[in-house]
Amino acid sequence: MLLRVPHKKVVCEASGSLCYRARMTDQSINTRRLFSLGDLTNASFDVTIFALTAAGTYLAQYMDRPITAVLIFLMGVIAIGARSGVYSGVFAAVAASFVYNFFLSEPVFMFGISTADEIVPLVAFNVSAVVAGALAGRLADTAKLAKVAEKRSRFLLQVSGELQQAIDGNDVAEITRRLLPLERLVDLEIYIYRDGALCRSGTEAIFPDPLTALLAEKTSAGSPLSFQAFVLNASNGEHGIVKFFLAPRQESDGDLPDLQALANLLALAVDRCLLLEKAAEATAMKRSEELKTAILASVSHDLRTPLTAIEAAATGLRSFRHDLSDSQKDSMLDTINEQCRRLNRYTANLLDMGRIQSGIPDANLCEVDVIEIVGVVLNSTRQLFPDCAIAKDFRLGAAIVWANATMLEQVIFNILENAFVHGSSSEPVVVRIDASEDGMILEISDCGPGISQVDRPHIFERFYRAGDRIHRRGSGLGLYIAKGFVEAFRGKISARSVTKDGKGTKIVIELPLIEPAIEHEQETA
Amino acid sequence: MRILIVDDEPAIIGTLIPVLSAQGHKVSSAGTIREALKEAESSDFDLILLDLGLPDGDGLEIISKLHQLTSANIIVLSARHLERDKIIALDEGADDYVDKPFGVGELLARLRVAQRRQELANQSAHDEFFSDQLYVHFRRREVRLLGEEIKLSPKEFVLLEALCRSGGQIVTQRKLLIAGWNDPSADSQYLRSYIALLRQKLEYDPSEPEMILTEPGVGYRISLGTQTLK
Repeated sequence: MLLRVPHKKVVCEASGSLCYRARMTDQSINTRRLFSLGDLTNASFDVTIFALTAAGTYLAQYMDRPITAVLIFLMGVIAIGARSGVYSGVFAAVAASFVYNFFLSEPVFMFGISTADEIVPLVAFNVSAVVAGALAGRLADTAKLAKVAEKRSRFLLQVSGELQQAIDGNDVAEITRRLLPLERLVDLEIYIYRDGALCRSGTEAIFPDPLTALLAEKTSAGSPLSFQAFVLNASNGEHGIVKFFLAPRQESDGDLPDLQALANLLALAVDRCLLLEKAAEATAMKRSEELKTAILASVSHDLRTPLTAIEAAATGLRSFRHDLSDSQKDSMLDTINEQCRRLNRYTANLLDMGRIQSGIPDANLCEVDVIEIVGVVLNSTRQLFPDCAIAKDFRLGAAIVWANATMLEQVIFNILENAFVHGSSSEPVVVRIDASEDGMILEISDCGPGISQVDRPHIFERFYRAGDRIHRRGSGLGLYIAKGFVEAFRGKISARSVTKDGKGTKIVIELPLIEPAIEHEQETA
Repeated sequence: MRILIVDDEPAIIGTLIPVLSAQGHKVSSAGTIREALKEAESSDFDLILLDLGLPDGDGLEIISKLHQLTSANIIVLSARHLERDKIIALDEGADDYVDKPFGVGELLARLRVAQRRQELANQSAHDEFFSDQLYVHFRRREVRLLGEEIKLSPKEFVLLEALCRSGGQIVTQRKLLIAGWNDPSADSQYLRSYIALLRQKLEYDPSEPEMILTEPGVGYRISLGTQTLK
C-alpha cells in the first residue's frame, strides 16, 4: 500500500501481515570520497613495488636473462593486483607493458611491437593482473563479509543474553538500546498491546493502532530517521510492533543486518516478560484474596464476640430487669461498656491497618517528642490498668523524632497493652528511653512468660496471635500496626527475650532523632 | 445550659437528649447543616455539639457562621485519628472536641469545662484561674501551686495564662505560638521547650504530666483537677 502523509512521503509495503516495511524515500547521498590519506599511502606502496620490480627486471635484462626479467615483472604485477584489487592490477599491468616495451624489449627506448616475443609478455601481464586482482578482491570481500556476519551474530548473541535479565516490557527496549548501534541500526522503539492500544515502552505514550505508532517520528539532528517495523509475534498472537530506526545510508555500507532475526529475539523476550507480569499479577491477586479471607475471618470473630456479649447483656437487662439484683445489673452494664471499648479498639485497628496498606504519606509526619507521647500513654494506661505497675527509666530529657503524634501514641499504647496483658502481675513493666548509636531507643519490657521460639518470627504479622488459638485475645493487629507505623517513621522495631532462658518480652523501637539527644537535666531541688 | 446537638444519627440524638435533659439542660437537635443554621438563627444557645459528617455538607464549613449567629461554645464531635480535621475546626473557631465514640461521662466532663469557661468569660474582671492544685492571678502575675508561690519567666507565664484562660479547653499549638511569640509559624521546638520548663516547675512528675496535658498532634489543655469538676 502507498500512503501519503502531509510533510513527508512514506512508502509502506506490507508483506502479508508479518512485516510492515516503511522506508522514507531517501535521496541517497552519493558523496564519493575521492581522496584520502589511506588511499595515498596504499598507492605509494604500490608504486614502490612497481619501481622495485622494474629495477629487478632491468637488472635481469642487463645480465642477459630475458625470461627471468619477464617473470620478475610478472610477479610484481600479480603482487599489486592481489594487494589492491583488479583496477590497480590492470593499471600496473598496462604500465608494466609500456615500460617493458619502451625500456627492455628491442628496440630499446622505442615503442613498437614487432615479434610474438613482444606480444606474449604484454598479454601475460594483463591476464595475470586481472586474474590476481579478481581473486584478491573476492578474498577481501569474503573476509569482510565474514567479519560483518560475525559481528552481527555476536550482537544477536549478546542481545539474547542480556535480554534474560529483562523483567518487564520496558526493559526489553532499554537493554537492546544499550547495545546499539549496530551498523546503520541506531535506535528502536517497542510498542506493546495493552488493553487494546499500543503502548510505547518506557513512556506513557499510547497509540490507538499500529499505523499511528508507525507514523510517530523520531528525529536525529533535525531530520527524521528512516525505519523498518516488524510485528512481534508470539505463540498466542501479536504482542505489538518494534520499530528499528536506521541512520542514512553511506556509500561504504553493505546490506542491513537481519532485522527480522532481531525482531524475533525481541518478540521472545517481550513474550517472556508479559508472562512474568501475568504470573506476578496472579500471585498478588492470590495474596490479596488470602488477605481478604483473613480479614473476613477476623472481622466475623472479633466483631461478633463483643456484639454477642453486648446483645446478651442488653436483652437480658431489658427482659429481666425486675428479677436481677443491682450488682447483677451493674455487672451486665459493665460488660456492655467493656465490649464497646473492645469494639472501638478493634475498628481503630482495622482502620490503622488500612492506613498502613495504603501507605502513610510523609506529609502526615512532623516533629514529635517521644517522651511527651509516652507520658500521654502512661496517663491513660494507668487509668485503664490501675493494678499494673510501671517503672520508668528515661535517660533523655527530650527525644524529638519525625513521626505522627497520634500514630506514635497508638504504637506505644499497643505495646504497653501487650506488656500489661501478657506480663507478670507481680513485676512492673519497664519503660526505658535512651540514646542509641544513630538515634533513640524506646524499650518496653515485661516479666511474663515470653514469646515462644515458634511464635517469635511471626508476632509482627497481620492477624497473628501467639499461643492458644482457641481462646485468643486481641485482634492480632497490635504489633503489626506498631511495626507499620514505626517503619513509616523510618524506625525499626524488634522483639527480644528479657532473660537468657527466654522469659519476659522486650519490644525495642529505634527511631532516628531530628536533633541531637538532650541528656536528662539533673534534678535541681 | 441551652444545648444544640447537630448530628444526623437518630440513635445518638435519641440517647443524648434524655441524658442531657436529665442533667438539667435544655436540649434541641438538628440533623443537617441547614437545620442547624436555622436553629441558631431563631434561638440562642450556650453550647453546640457539632458532628462533622453531615448529610448536606461538612460541619467544618459552618463553624464560623455559627459563631456569627450565636455566642455559643462549639464542641466538635470527631473521629480520633482525624487530627487535621480537629485542628481545622479549632482554627475555624471551635472551642473543643470530643473523640467519637465517647462515653457519657467524657462528654459531660467537656460540657462542664465549657460551662466553666463561659462563667469565667462572663465575669467582668476575669482575673483568676484556679484548679484544685493551681492558682493563677493574671493581672498580678501570681502563680501558686498548692498554696506555694512559683516563680515563672515572662514567657512561661504568658503560655500558662493562655492555657488557663481557656479554662480547661484545648489550646492549639498555633494559638500558643501566637500567644508566646506573636507568630503562628514560629518553631514548635520553642513551645515544646517552654512547656517542658513549665512542667518541671508545676508537675509532680514532668514525664507523666497531670496538669498541663498533651493532646497528641493538636495542642495542650490545662487540667482542672478532679475536685473542681465535681
